[in-house]
Amino acid sequence: MTRVNANRVMLVIAIMLAALYLFPLYWMYVTSLKTNSSIFAVPPEFLPGEPQWENYATIWDVANIPRFIWNSLVIATGVTVITGIVGAGAAYVLARYRNGWIDAALFTVLMLQVLPPSLMVTPIFVGFAWIGLLDFPRFAAILAISAKTMPFFVILCRAAFMTIPRELEEAALVDGNSRAGAFFMIVLPLARNGILISALLVFMQGFGEYVYSASIIADNRLQPASIGMTNFLQPNVVNWNAIMAFAATYVTPILAAFVLLQRQIVNGLTAGALK
Amino acid sequence: MTHQIELENVEKHYGSFHALKTVNLAIPKGQFVALVGPSGCGKSTLLRSIAGLERITSGVLRIEGERVNDLPPRKRDLAMVFQSYALYPHMSVRDNLTYALRLKGASKAERAKKAEEVAAIIGLENLLDRRPKALSGGQRQRVAMGRAIIRNPRAFLFDEPLSNLDAALRVRMRKEVRALHDRLGATSVYVTHDQIEAMTMADHVVVMRLGVIEQQGAPLELYERPANRFVAGFIGSPAMNFVPGTMAADGASVVLDLEGAPTLPTAIKAEPGLKVDVGLRPEHLTMGAPGVAGSATIGIAAVESTGSSCFLFADGDPELIITTDGSTNVKAGDQVGLTIAPERIHLFDPESEMALRSGE
Repeated sequence: MTRVNANRVMLVIAIMLAALYLFPLYWMYVTSLKTNSSIFAVPPEFLPGEPQWENYATIWDVANIPRFIWNSLVIATGVTVITGIVGAGAAYVLARYRNGWIDAALFTVLMLQVLPPSLMVTPIFVGFAWIGLLDFPRFAAILAISAKTMPFFVILCRAAFMTIPRELEEAALVDGNSRAGAFFMIVLPLARNGILISALLVFMQGFGEYVYSASIIADNRLQPASIGMTNFLQPNVVNWNAIMAFAATYVTPILAAFVLLQRQIVNGLTAGALK
Repeated sequence: MTHQIELENVEKHYGSFHALKTVNLAIPKGQFVALVGPSGCGKSTLLRSIAGLERITSGVLRIEGERVNDLPPRKRDLAMVFQSYALYPHMSVRDNLTYALRLKGASKAERAKKAEEVAAIIGLENLLDRRPKALSGGQRQRVAMGRAIIRNPRAFLFDEPLSNLDAALRVRMRKEVRALHDRLGATSVYVTHDQIEAMTMADHVVVMRLGVIEQQGAPLELYERPANRFVAGFIGSPAMNFVPGTMAADGASVVLDLEGAPTLPTAIKAEPGLKVDVGLRPEHLTMGAPGVAGSATIGIAAVESTGSSCFLFADGDPELIITTDGSTNVKAGDQVGLTIAPERIHLFDPESEMALRSGE
């Protein structure tokens, strides 16, 4: 087989795999435009006969989408800010020092990454209830989600910091800067891309988070979109086209951001790996 | 007299590793000092300790008479040029040069003026707005130098600044660095593993090994009177030959362990029969016809000619290297006679490796 043919075969396989992965997304968009009857049509309709654009207009008002999206934004922003500030500091320390304690800390951070939220949610809920944090449910959710996103962020950021030569910082120290000054003037600007990309990924995690928000935020008015969507799941009727229209409204901005920034995201995550 | 930089019994431990052992060094104002030694000898640690990037474990470090053991680098007012240059990649050449001034709170106009001045000194007037990425190795090196001189510091510290340059540029920069030092009347400490750099640039050379200063002094003093076998072998290129020998019955001459070798008179009095290592510099050996009285006969294993000079490698053990001028018709496999100037030999105690001196 020639090289060109081999490449073609690989391309076909890649397209098929991509189609397989993207099919649920496609199904979401298609279903959101279907009528109730065509959703359950046998054989299934792969294209909506008459796109029901009004599904979107309906749920926008009925489901309080602006409020839910706003709550999601507040939570995602809070998570990103807390994770960013605390995590960048932690990552820097873990990147700059090498000893047994640091190794132990790093191992612990990796372990935290492994623990699933559904396992952690009960102790967190009990703890928060005990210290009265549940009176500020959105803030409590932000804290809990930050704890989840922190290890991921710390590990990505640490990699970004490690690509910055130590000599640059030392040069700044000799040039007359303090440790903190060297960090803010030299290290942080140079690690900026890695940090921003990691923060973006954290933001997306916060934006789509479900488990902690569902357990901690009882008040419907403060719930994020991920929970708002489940309001359409009722014991007897499941309003699929409304759910799908809601989901489409919810994820399209994220998808758009990802598609637009995907080159930067990939570069940001692999920066330094090639040097 | 207060020295510009003074180290007194300085020790540095990294955990169980003893990096600097009782280092004593006094550097007068205006001197160019080279710290030289093989990798891992502690020369960089010593420099970084002076800069304040490492804390010394004990001893006293003074700059202009002031004890600075506990001062952070920024309060020591020293400038450092790093091996990797450590230019700030996100700043233009101008900002790199004036970074230290900015930290001191100099006004924008003042910084601009200084940047122009320094750029003229280092010859980078046209590149002030470039990023370091867009500069060649030699230009980056100059920016790193400029960043040091703009501050007018109490001393310059150089950490192998030329080792990333190609050979021709290195030779040129060697002269430039030294010329700059003289022009600024600066005090410089220069770390290198290249003994030629140390010998050609410095007023005072400090040879280190395993955290210990083996010997310090003027370059030619180290060459002519090495204190021990290590310094003798480290200074000079190609390295000194060592041949075992025995003190003759008169206690004032030495018999080399070479076939046909003459008895060489020395100024050193030692016990007859004492085993010694005899150091012979390749450039102090001369060749003649084999079998002549007073010359040792050796076989030549290989000949390397560089045009200007020629290195002959003798076969047998110990291996000898002989430097002659460029035109020789000796070939590998030839037998030659070797004469040794007795006044240029060095004797070392094989046990302690210390040089034997007359009157000791």
